[in-house]
Amino acid sequence: MATFLLEILSEEIPAAALSGARRQLEELFAAQLTEEGFADLEITPLSTSRRLSVVVENLPDRQADRTEELTGPPLRVAVDADGKPTPAGEGFARKVGLPFDEVGRLSTEKGEYLTATVVHKGRATSEILAEVVPAVVAALHFPKMMRWGDGTHIFVRPVHGVVALLDSEVIPCALFGVEAGRSTVGHRVHSSERFELESADGYAEAMIERGVVVDPADRRQRLEELAEALASEAGARVHPDPELMAEHVELVEWPGLIAGTFDERFLELPPEVVVTTLRFHQKCLILENGDNGLQNGFIGVIDRKDDPEGLIRQGNEWVISARLADAGFFFAEDRKQTFADFVPGMERLEFHRVLGSLADKAVRVGKLAAAFANALDTDVTPDQMHTAAGLAKADLLTHMVGEFPELQGIVGGHYLRLEGADEGLWTAVRDHYAPIGFEGVVPESVTGKLLGVADRLDTVAGLFAVGERPSGSKDPFGLRRAAQGAVKIVADAGWEVDLNEMIQAAVDAVADHSKDGEEAVADAVTAFVVDRVRRWLTDIVGVSGDTADAVMAADWSNLPAAVARAEALERVRTSENFRILALAFKRVRNITDGQPDRGVDSELFEMAEERELYAATEEFAKQLQDLLPKKQVEEAFLAMEPIAEILERFFIEVLVMCEDERVRDNRIALLKQLGQQFMDLADLSKLQVEGGE
Amino acid sequence: MDLQTLILDLQRYWADCGCIIQQPYDVEIGAGTMHPESFLRVLGPEPYRVAYVQPSRRPADARYGENPFRLGRHLQLQVILKPSPDDVQELYLKSLGVLGIDPAVHDIRFEEDNWESPTLGAWGVGWQVLLDGMEITQFTYFQQAGGIELSPVSAELTYGLERIAMFLQRKDSIYDIEWGGGVSYGAVRLEDERESSIYGFEVADVNMLRRHFEDWESEAKRCLEHEPPLVIPAVEAALKTSHLFNLLDARGAISVTERVGLIARVRRNAVAAARASLEQREALGFPLAGAPDSPSGEAA
Repeated sequence: MATFLLEILSEEIPAAALSGARRQLEELFAAQLTEEGFADLEITPLSTSRRLSVVVENLPDRQADRTEELTGPPLRVAVDADGKPTPAGEGFARKVGLPFDEVGRLSTEKGEYLTATVVHKGRATSEILAEVVPAVVAALHFPKMMRWGDGTHIFVRPVHGVVALLDSEVIPCALFGVEAGRSTVGHRVHSSERFELESADGYAEAMIERGVVVDPADRRQRLEELAEALASEAGARVHPDPELMAEHVELVEWPGLIAGTFDERFLELPPEVVVTTLRFHQKCLILENGDNGLQNGFIGVIDRKDDPEGLIRQGNEWVISARLADAGFFFAEDRKQTFADFVPGMERLEFHRVLGSLADKAVRVGKLAAAFANALDTDVTPDQMHTAAGLAKADLLTHMVGEFPELQGIVGGHYLRLEGADEGLWTAVRDHYAPIGFEGVVPESVTGKLLGVADRLDTVAGLFAVGERPSGSKDPFGLRRAAQGAVKIVADAGWEVDLNEMIQAAVDAVADHSKDGEEAVADAVTAFVVDRVRRWLTDIVGVSGDTADAVMAADWSNLPAAVARAEALERVRTSENFRILALAFKRVRNITDGQPDRGVDSELFEMAEERELYAATEEFAKQLQDLLPKKQVEEAFLAMEPIAEILERFFIEVLVMCEDERVRDNRIALLKQLGQQFMDLADLSKLQVEGGE
Repeated sequence: MDLQTLILDLQRYWADCGCIIQQPYDVEIGAGTMHPESFLRVLGPEPYRVAYVQPSRRPADARYGENPFRLGRHLQLQVILKPSPDDVQELYLKSLGVLGIDPAVHDIRFEEDNWESPTLGAWGVGWQVLLDGMEITQFTYFQQAGGIELSPVSAELTYGLERIAMFLQRKDSIYDIEWGGGVSYGAVRLEDERESSIYGFEVADVNMLRRHFEDWESEAKRCLEHEPPLVIPAVEAALKTSHLFNLLDARGAISVTERVGLIARVRRNAVAAARASLEQREALGFPLAGAPDSPSGEAA
């Protein structure tokens, strides 16, 4: 069995693109080689910051020969009355490469046909690879592709070398104008001379000798071991950060580490500022001491084995200390005044040309949040809510947020805490931007949750009012994420509030700016939020789309209740009874839609099935009254089940559209009543089930 | 190495690599890319190699001369290599050698950093080059400029000169960098930074800036409508609107929604000027297209 190696040497490939590229390499080679009849292959995609490779083991030298049974024309067409081959018969013989006499006969129900077995000689694996390699590489896709030089070729970065070896034989092909061969380079620092790979076997080992670890898993292990060793030398722990580790694995050819320190005085900065500087700006691993506090040290990843003169550590220390000093400068500037001193500046910061300044927004948000606090019966006072809303955006005026925009909220919260503000307040300011869409945790305090919801609904209502609605992929103000964030907070908090009323209150507050009337804005915002609620049910709660539709048709505005009903319905709907109910309810809907509400008169019943259904409806109503207050939602759904059979019988035996108008109307009323009872839980007619249209 | 030696040595190096050494553009611009020697030369088929220092004005980045790392006007050394040579990374790494940076004892990294300029209708892909964790150069393969797909593709190298000098001299403040002959950066530039900050943040007359934005915008249009179009005057007028926009922005006079509109207005003229320039070069028969290829990889 032979081993194949492909290595594409390029300029530094974006780290974020590499794992996807490896997956594509594996899948594409597997698909193409399977198509060529190869089986039991061992395909290993490899990569470093500047090479993409794949090793395919278990390849035979040639494809197996393949036989194919070909069926030709019917015998009656292939031979004439004298039994001589016709042009059609001769044609088939020529095609299969046999004298006509040796062509076989195949009896079928439709008569006799010509037949022949053709043997396709398997091709040499090298020949196949010469075709497969360019096809695979041409199919590789990267999030952002580029051209270079004369602009002929498109890839993720310019390509400088191609190694394509089947064992020790070069596969003749060319990629991006580069002929495949056996020559490549090692690590830029440790072994930059070109050299020749003798064989595909032992590629990883040969590269390690040249200062390149081609296997990402190997690099990861080395990094983790090194980091732990360095941390314990420094008497600290590495803050676990799998995401950053994964990025570093892709950023190097040889994973090396340096440990450095910074001046302890920087530990007075908000810890988030230190972490942002180290982790996000410098991609350093964070060191923690015993009680999860920050240590005045860091671990940096370098793309080489060593730091021979200590210059790399020195350089990194200098950069980090400069960046921290920079942050320290802003911190000191900000702390020259109290946090409240930033508030007046919000009048100068425009939220939106029509909707006014951030100060105007803060007033609206405060009122809205206070109303929500009241509706929810929390112990947050209106005054507390107004204060929180008034301070929430003031940190946008600080130097620190000017420099670290991603720390909005966090900086404000930190400054308030340093000034001894109440915990409910500073955590609210700190947390109110979270979650981003459905991602992340919701604010810790009730004040923070209320602020978060009010802020987002005000943004959505306000921008809808002035006509800045998202369309297609365009959502410049992030309104979808804003609405999603509000939905997540309400759902996670389990607030049984009427979202409709909350939306209405938010729309009322910006009514003066509404371009096309308050009602139209309310409708649009409601539809927008309804769509987010549906996504919450399908994407986060994980129910199917029609379950969400069925439940939301009953009511969506009490979100925790809708979630509970959706979960229950998703569980129970698999039974045969629910299939029957769903079908029957499509009929109920067809019959009762548009019919007025009339009372059911049991005196008008003529048939046992009517009385039976009436009794079942009454019984169901009673059970709902008992179960729903106890939040036994699934039991409530299960209480529907006995009705399936009764309803089915009703539709078989009872002619609803009978001649007698009073009897007919009474039957419609009966069905209508049943439908209304069910609508306390869900509109089952929305369920898509087998047997439906 | 002092700042001026750094500049002189880098210019010498790139001259040896076949670049003509241009001079800074004498219109206020925010980045070396906006210099017509970059913005216009990357269009069309003509090979070109050029390097120059460009003082880059970013009024919003100014800090009254109080922040040791921030400047309202900093120096970039800009290199354009068109088409991008195969050995462009090696050429770049050798240029660091000129600065006394020996790759054998440093950690030099190319990390993805793509570049986009909405005002120029331009974008490219590339890296920020990190030296021991410090960003020292922006490295970009231009894919589009003035809304025009580029072929051949140019490589653009932008060195942040003050940062590199600070790093090499291990100075904690830009103003402590040695400029040359024992004179510090602060002695040369500090007052200018203070005054420009006060002007940009507090004094600049918003109404005047807005008026001039309108004026230069229509002047750019007039130049483009002229028969034949006056390309360089149009570009200069568009660059002025870009700088006026930056001043208005620093002054806090532009809202989020207005920003998008103003950027689009700058872009319209920049893109139109780029098209006119390309047509003009074509009409001239792309005079540089036949020139022998610039030497590649033969730097001293």
